Amino acid sequence: MDTTQLLKGVLDLAVLAVVAERDGYGYDVVRRLRAAGLEDVGDASVYGTLRRLYAGGLLTSYVVPSEEGPHRKYYAVNDAGRAQLGASTGTWRSFTDAMDKLLGTEGEEAA
Amino acid sequence: MNDTIDADVARYATAVRAAFADLPGPERELLLEDLEDHLQEVAAEGDGPLSERLGAPEAYAAELRASAGLPAPGARPTRPRRRLGQSRVARRLRGLWAAALAHPAGGAIVGFLPELRPAWWVARGYLAVQAASVALSFLFAGDGLRFPIPELFGSQVLGLLAVAAAVAGSVALGRRTVAGGRRARGLLVAGNTALALFAVLLLTDLGASRAAAEGGWDQAQYFEVYPGSDRTMGLRSDGREISNIYAFDQQGRPLRDVYLVDQYGQPVVTSHLDDPDVEPRLPVDAAGNAVLNRYPQAQDRVDPASGRRTPTTAPTFRPPPGPVRTP
Repeated sequence: MDTTQLLKGVLDLAVLAVVAERDGYGYDVVRRLRAAGLEDVGDASVYGTLRRLYAGGLLTSYVVPSEEGPHRKYYAVNDAGRAQLGASTGTWRSFTDAMDKLLGTEGEEAA
Repeated sequence: MNDTIDADVARYATAVRAAFADLPGPERELLLEDLEDHLQEVAAEGDGPLSERLGAPEAYAAELRASAGLPAPGARPTRPRRRLGQSRVARRLRGLWAAALAHPAGGAIVGFLPELRPAWWVARGYLAVQAASVALSFLFAGDGLRFPIPELFGSQVLGLLAVAAAVAGSVALGRRTVAGGRRARGLLVAGNTALALFAVLLLTDLGASRAAAEGGWDQAQYFEVYPGSDRTMGLRSDGREISNIYAFDQQGRPLRDVYLVDQYGQPVVTSHLDDPDVEPRLPVDAAGNAVLNRYPQAQDRVDPASGRRTPTTAPTFRPPPGPVRTP
């Protein structure tokens, strides 16, 4: 199954979760998503998602100057983002429960 | 080394930005303001040009666009076109139609309508010839509408024959169930509608010419509307046109050959839009140009019937009792 199709639906949730865990700049978020096992996640998709969540008021941003390389724009989850993360997590849990039942396998407990 | 990376980032970013040229400036900036910094991070991470690691900039832009929730380029964010039949008005009309059919009287009338069809077929043939006759008279400067027998190429006999043929054809068309699919049906409906509208026009025109024959509105019909008499053009005071200006001194003696300018130094030029029968005889300067703002103008009232000119008369003016002071 093509994971990019699945990713489209849950990338908002994944990005919110990663940023809620720890503030991050664009490429840092890409790396952490890939490290968490979402290897197929597209750089442009993460960038676009971050910008959309930011424009939608779920993230705040601040710039951290760096000695070598460009200044980095860090993103942080605000209250609205946290509320969204909570709601989406609930939706995701019930969805995976339903899929697990449908597929007849015992769902592993998500980390 | 850094130079080539920077150049690569700049090139790639430019190509990505180009794919967002359709976005309004602020929206584009909100989306892409970190693009270069972000690409710089990616470039610093590994080796090889960005286009190898991230794919073609166009594909990158398309992915970015989709994840940012924007429509594809060229897909205008307009409302999807709906077929006429699915519009709200059409739905309302269908609802009214259904309600009318449900009512017993409505049902009876609708049930009776098919019996009127043959009458419509006859009328349709006649209307088609009348329409053709009016159209031809526009083309060949004929007499226009003739009632009750239309005229074709200046002949009412020809018109009568055409009516007979058209009525026969129309009835034959009506008796045949229309095959040929939606297109043919659509054409027929359009033709019928056009002829029905023409019938309304025909009746209106007949009513008008009857009223005119009775002396009702032929005055109004021949009233000539002078161009520009919309009461906004020309020189006006409270909407009333000023066609000439007379100046008097303190003793009330008329002044002659006074030049008038407005607060900008522009010549004040009177107009004769509402009263086109008034013609000024404008003075001419040494260069042969008409002098427009010297008052009072010599003017004639021209009788439109005979062309006879009579000079307009000056108004009388009595100055207020003096002495007049400015506070």
